[in-house]
Amino acid sequence: MKTRSTIRPATLILALAALATTQAAAQDVARVEVTPATLSLEVGETATVSATAYDASGNVVEVPFLYFSRGGRGSLAVNRTTGEVEAFKGGEFEVMARALGPTRISGTMTVNVAFPPLDRVEISAEGGRYYVGVTMRHKATVVDEADDARDLPVNWSTSDESVATVDRFGVFSAHAPGEVTLSATAEGVIGRITYQVADNPVTAMAVEASQGRGRTGDVIHFTATARDAGGSTVDDIPVTFGLISDPDAVATADFAPAEVDEMGRFVAYKPGVYTVTANVPGQTAHATVEILPRHVAEEVQLVGHAPVRNVSTSDLWVWEGVDGRDYAITGTHSGHGSTYWWDVTDPASPVLTDSLIVDARTTNDVKVSEDGELCVISREGASNRRNGIVIVDCTDPRNIEIISTYDDELTGGVHNLFIYQDHVYAVNNGIRFDVINIEDPANPHRVGRFELDTPGHAIHDIWIVDGIAYTSNWNDGVAVIDVGGGNRGGSPENPVEIARFRDIGGATHAAFPYRSPTGRFYIFMGDEIGAPGFDGQEAGRTPEFMSGYIHVVDFTDPENPEEVARYEIPEAGSHNMWIDGDRLYAAFYQGGLRVLDISGELKGNLYHQGREIAVYKSYDPDGVVANAPFTWGPQIHKGNLFFAEYFSGMWAIKLQPRRTLIP
Amino acid sequence: MKREAGLAVATALAAAALTAVTPPTQAAAQSYWVYVAAESEDEVSLLRYDAGGDLVVEKTIPTGWLAAEIEAPHGLAMDPAGEYWYLTLGHGFPNGRLVKYETASDTVVGVADLGLFPATIAIPPHGALALAVNANFHGDHVPSTVTIVDLETMFPIADVVTCTMPHGSRFSADGSRHYSACMMDNQLVEIDGATLDVTRRLDLIANEPAHAPMDGHMAMAPPGADCSPTWTTPHPDGSRVFVPCNKGDVILEIDLAQWRITRRLEAPGAPYNLDLTPDGSRLLATLKGSAKLGIWDVDTGVLLHLIDSEMRVTHGVVATPDGRYAVVTVEGIGGDPGTVEVIEIASGTRVASAQIGKQAGGIALWKMEG
Repeated sequence: MKTRSTIRPATLILALAALATTQAAAQDVARVEVTPATLSLEVGETATVSATAYDASGNVVEVPFLYFSRGGRGSLAVNRTTGEVEAFKGGEFEVMARALGPTRISGTMTVNVAFPPLDRVEISAEGGRYYVGVTMRHKATVVDEADDARDLPVNWSTSDESVATVDRFGVFSAHAPGEVTLSATAEGVIGRITYQVADNPVTAMAVEASQGRGRTGDVIHFTATARDAGGSTVDDIPVTFGLISDPDAVATADFAPAEVDEMGRFVAYKPGVYTVTANVPGQTAHATVEILPRHVAEEVQLVGHAPVRNVSTSDLWVWEGVDGRDYAITGTHSGHGSTYWWDVTDPASPVLTDSLIVDARTTNDVKVSEDGELCVISREGASNRRNGIVIVDCTDPRNIEIISTYDDELTGGVHNLFIYQDHVYAVNNGIRFDVINIEDPANPHRVGRFELDTPGHAIHDIWIVDGIAYTSNWNDGVAVIDVGGGNRGGSPENPVEIARFRDIGGATHAAFPYRSPTGRFYIFMGDEIGAPGFDGQEAGRTPEFMSGYIHVVDFTDPENPEEVARYEIPEAGSHNMWIDGDRLYAAFYQGGLRVLDISGELKGNLYHQGREIAVYKSYDPDGVVANAPFTWGPQIHKGNLFFAEYFSGMWAIKLQPRRTLIP
Repeated sequence: MKREAGLAVATALAAAALTAVTPPTQAAAQSYWVYVAAESEDEVSLLRYDAGGDLVVEKTIPTGWLAAEIEAPHGLAMDPAGEYWYLTLGHGFPNGRLVKYETASDTVVGVADLGLFPATIAIPPHGALALAVNANFHGDHVPSTVTIVDLETMFPIADVVTCTMPHGSRFSADGSRHYSACMMDNQLVEIDGATLDVTRRLDLIANEPAHAPMDGHMAMAPPGADCSPTWTTPHPDGSRVFVPCNKGDVILEIDLAQWRITRRLEAPGAPYNLDLTPDGSRLLATLKGSAKLGIWDVDTGVLLHLIDSEMRVTHGVVATPDGRYAVVTVEGIGGDPGTVEVIEIASGTRVASAQIGKQAGGIALWKMEG
């Protein structure tokens, strides 16, 4: 390590000695000067910068300083009291010296750390072979000797422009047969890739649609076939797809009526006639399809309302009790730790059967065991800060009894939980899930736990189907974990991660798996994102607003999951959801309860495809906030759709086909 | 406005270090403003108490980013000049945050990322920095950190590793030393106000200097000798720090010159938060377990008053700049509202109270006028 000697040494001792007597002087600081104003270092070098404070008259003021660099974390180390800097990575960094006094004056200087020499330029290309006429884009990555990628301009060129040319974006076009080298140059370092351009053998082109007629939202696959003069297929020539749209109705500045991707997957948002072209150099084929309206909307019939008007309602669970009657349990949020049981055998007239108050402010999640005998309640905001879960005998929902509580190492608050085969999977402290064995509900005990390994990881929710847990992990997306059914050796005692996917946005709050009759396996990943604006609401008096949407990820190949679709409501954000059959029931806070047709393959923004079957917004003039839909979570049960409303309790609706108008 | 009380606090603290102890001011009609955080309501309330009158909630400020998640506003601190106030949000994804508000307009003007469940905040008299203890109340019992934040840029400069579950972040009156307590390691930790490095640790069980705890190796207290210190309050004379043993029903006085415990004040009822009157003559302690406020004569160590709170789970306490009142926060249980109570220190009587959002905890005195 080298040290630059031209820089003045720090005055730590002076600063320490001055501290006790600087309060008055510090108030006079008008300007801080950091010297040198600029400094050039090599990686591995150190130097010391020094700050001096002056009053308005230019007199030196003795005051301690705090040195730091806002943009240099991991690249430039700054000793906060001595001002010594050490360079670890190249770049330009600002070092700030804050005068520790009431005027909060600071000075800055710039450290330029020379980047390591460039090592290489890596070129990546789309797949396919170069035939005459083929055009494909390339991308270049510049890497220095520290193996760090550098953001530098790249100059593209080819070795023989009669064979191929390239533009400034790396778009490479083959013109004639022969060998040609594509080069990307950054500061004298060259990356190369050599191609053998061949004559284009394609003499015939065909494209075929998987179906000639469909509805909005249907994914139609277009398959292109290129053949040579002998009739053999040419599989390695890149094919591009194009689209000619003729929607039935067009609104000014409306969104695109349809889309087709590089795989030939087409979906339409508006009815009409669409022609997809498949293109190779010199040959084009097209196929036309007719798209009809989806026509899935149904009528909503309000069935019943179980009002909760003194406290906000959180999750719900509906089940058939051991006596054959139907019951529901609802939790509460930011209240007094209450939970309510309802007889919903007649969903038009829910009857409150029992209630329970535990030491908590929020009983966010409520779940019922598969046999209907145990209810488990999550606790947050316990006065002793121990939280955990409460296990309740709900064999008779008219006379529920607490069997046990469990809070060992669950003190951070259990926000969500799931019951699966005599185990409670409890999201603990927003960091991990703990697995609690409740075979003997009077003696629950921990048997396992699972936590991601990423820095700053967090977890919000867990859902289990067929021995596989789906956890929602905010910035880390969804994790798929074998807890006994994933054939990866997982068990409640030893959860084993199978796959993970981070969606675009990184705000995963809830996830629900869906095995489609098409053979595809999707995971619906819902965001939870606060509305823009931090302080514009008056709590408790006006409705709240949320944003975010549901990401649809094709997990058919868990090694290569692909985000293929979204369900985004322009005016609201997603919360909890439920899937039954080919329908998604989704709570969208101020956007109410939405029912979505998710039949068939999924692609694009489902909201614009006419897939919405129903939208229901509940208005309760006597709610915690009057007439303010804020839908929390749904569950379908015996044909009735129950859902929790944050401001007004539990509701039940029923869907029925639209009636034909009689003229 | 006759003067900025936030600045007055700092001035008073500094002055107290140089002058003799004086009795509380027999002030006439004074008004006092405090900010109080309601941890289970995601709110901060601004309250005003007019001496001899009512305690009034002047404003309620929603906090956090997500309407549907509790983000747990916990610690509060005032900028010494009174221009800003600072709030820790305990729950994040997973880390908490320090939020900077402009006083009076009560609008957010800056945010800094902290560690796991940040709790209390301390700001030295110069006002340029904040030291927030990352209490990590509910995580694994491993050493946590104190995050140092530059308050002008709201940039977290450094994380200083201290101990397991640090709490009770406070600066000495002159800002030269910072103290925090380790609830799970039974330590008092001192940080130099200039270098911002840990300078000393005191084992509060063995009453001897201690080493930094290692991961997975908490300092285990012998049976019957647990402390679980939850707070630190340096005396304005600069000679000592008071630390409550939440599990030991005692308040420790640590002599800073000797760096050892020199006095133990019996404090039955799980002492939790402390404050001293600006002249250093009265020690105030919330007794979380017995829902009381205790008031001690610092010179004699005599417990002068035990005042019952209207609700359970007393939490925070702050003395008014004139030493006349203690303002106490009471969490409540379950659906109970949070409560703020004003106690006249001389008589040990409650003179006013008001209800705010659930789980009233962190408290900071903004100003005194009159």
